Amino acid sequence: MIARDKPALKACRFLEEDLVLYYYGELSASDRRDCEAHLKDCDACRASLAEMSKLLPITTAHDEPPPTFWNDYSREMRRKLDAVAERETWWRRIVSLLSPLPVPALATGAILLVALTLTLGKGLWQSSNSAPDDEALIEVLPIAEQLDFFSDMELLDNLDLLETLGGQGYGTT
Amino acid sequence: MAAIPTAQLADEELVALVQKGDRRAFEELVERHKQKAYRIAFGFARDREEAKDLSQEAFLKAFTHIGRFDGRSGFYTWFYRILVNVCLDYRRRAKRTPAEEFNETVEGRVEPSPLISNPVSPDQQAIAGQLSRRVGAALELLPAKQRTAFILKNHQGLSIREIAETMETAEGTVKVHLHRAVTALRQSLAEFA
Repeated sequence: MIARDKPALKACRFLEEDLVLYYYGELSASDRRDCEAHLKDCDACRASLAEMSKLLPITTAHDEPPPTFWNDYSREMRRKLDAVAERETWWRRIVSLLSPLPVPALATGAILLVALTLTLGKGLWQSSNSAPDDEALIEVLPIAEQLDFFSDMELLDNLDLLETLGGQGYGTT
Repeated sequence: MAAIPTAQLADEELVALVQKGDRRAFEELVERHKQKAYRIAFGFARDREEAKDLSQEAFLKAFTHIGRFDGRSGFYTWFYRILVNVCLDYRRRAKRTPAEEFNETVEGRVEPSPLISNPVSPDQQAIAGQLSRRVGAALELLPAKQRTAFILKNHQGLSIREIAETMETAEGTVKVHLHRAVTALRQSLAEFA
């Protein structure tokens, strides 16, 4: 019959952790001696240790599969290893396609690719910037026309000068 | 010159062969360590099929990452860490399923410890079954780190230092996890003491 609601036995508080380590044989020699000395005089700690010794081993789960299990295990393992090896073979094939190329050749190819990208990119960049140039030209044209006007004005000045000079000539002749 | 049978080679020699592409050498490593690996996985999963899958998954990971094995530790130590991590990942995945579902999957499949194995009377059988379920549920309730420290110590018998290395934490932290796990389990399972 299982006793219900039985509280766990309490060891002395200062020794609780050491008692677990003592049970598992993990105390240093001096700590073990101290623990054993305390256990001689302490009923509660002795009872607590006895309870651990009874309870903790039953928490482990053991399984002893039959021999057929181990044969299946090995067969299944080989099948899984085959699958992994097959996957790796595919990767190796892909890598092997690239591997005959020496590293300098790959590096040169990469540099050429970058250079080509920059060159083409620059051309595209320039052509994409042609529209603003046209717009600027449209803005400049009227100014140029005005300059023509001013050059005409200069010609008029020259005509005045010629008239003046002509008048003087006619007067003298 | 005839090749030396793989069974006569040390683990590290087999690893060297695997690293050169010899898969049969890895199969020999599996044969050597499969039972230990299975038992460790069973400690975490408490289920035969799950333990098989987990230990096989660990072997496959070891196989695919064998190039990273640098020989600073033994093969089994290296593999052990992979295995424990696979088991911890499994615990994290299992956490996402409802506790009842988990208990149903393990119920009846876990063999009790030798202390309560081969129950003779119906009463003893009932107690053994109840204990098995209660232990599974109590372990399930432990926080992941406490559970790991406890399983590695109580089921696998690793030293505190080895557990600290496996869990990549301080020895003092492992001691605290272990103490808390034992305290919690004693409270959960006091009726069986």
